[in-house]
Amino acid sequence: MLSNRARLIVKTMVLTLLGAGVSAAIVGLIVLRGGFYNISATESHYPLIYTVFEEGLQYSIQNHAQDIEVPALGAPEQLLRGATVYAANCVQCHGGPGTAPSKHGMSMQPVPGPLVDADVNWETRELYWITRHGIKMSGMPAWEYHLSDSDIWAVVAFVSAMPAMSPQDFRGMTAPGAGVQSVPAAVQESAKESARAAHQGDQS
Amino acid sequence: MNRRYLPMLLTAVALAGCGSDRPPPGVQGDPERGKIALTQYACHSCHIVPSVAGSKVYVGRPLDDLDKRRYIAGKVPNTQDNLVRFIRDPQAVDPGTAMPTLGVSERDARDISAYLLSR
Repeated sequence: MLSNRARLIVKTMVLTLLGAGVSAAIVGLIVLRGGFYNISATESHYPLIYTVFEEGLQYSIQNHAQDIEVPALGAPEQLLRGATVYAANCVQCHGGPGTAPSKHGMSMQPVPGPLVDADVNWETRELYWITRHGIKMSGMPAWEYHLSDSDIWAVVAFVSAMPAMSPQDFRGMTAPGAGVQSVPAAVQESAKESARAAHQGDQS
Repeated sequence: MNRRYLPMLLTAVALAGCGSDRPPPGVQGDPERGKIALTQYACHSCHIVPSVAGSKVYVGRPLDDLDKRRYIAGKVPNTQDNLVRFIRDPQAVDPGTAMPTLGVSERDARDISAYLLSR
């Protein structure tokens, strides 16, 4: 049995926690229902909140994409197909080397990142996962039900090779009616390399 | 009078990031408006911009020290007019640059440059 003294301590602790919980809930409700939070897309995120969300996003994608097998990438026909898919669906928000996003992409909050550095930030299988499943609350749509699997891999191959593209390469490959001769050898090699790197990652 | 007001002016410059909207001497435009305008042209998607929440991104160079730079894109002297010109039409200043033309209006570019030069 607890002594009277111990009982008093436990009782005080429970009541204090309960009181703190209720006050926090009331304050939360006032902030929520008062509409004080500015939801506009011209108001920046708080840097700390942005950083925490972004870290959570990275860990989530690492975890969910870990079992994806990357096929061989980098055939010129595939890269050309990826360029077509990119020009139709991606460039509006992400832009490309020397190519601006559309107005609606530029003024989104959070802003869609450039993809010329995608290979630094993401593994190839993670790019596939992001393209296929999208990212909640970020504006990144899921393409699983709108693009075939081979088209998703084609656009992943194209994006993973983007660091090897000059502004001219990018414009040439995404131009309507572009042929395989518009795919530079360095771009093919870059896509092949990202697929190879993915396999070496699997073995180690 | 310069001597008397210099400390005040320096304080105002130091406080520029904390809500004061006085641009430093010689810089035209509205830095506070420029800070919002630059997010509406996605500058922070490729550049790290001081006091603007964003990812650690190194596609373009960080824009935290523009007031100390001597040249813009390594091509033209760092004056506000040149900065405005570069923001509006980077290809004209630095042909072949991967920075695209983003359709920035004269006024928006002026305010953005005022913000970047107010650091």
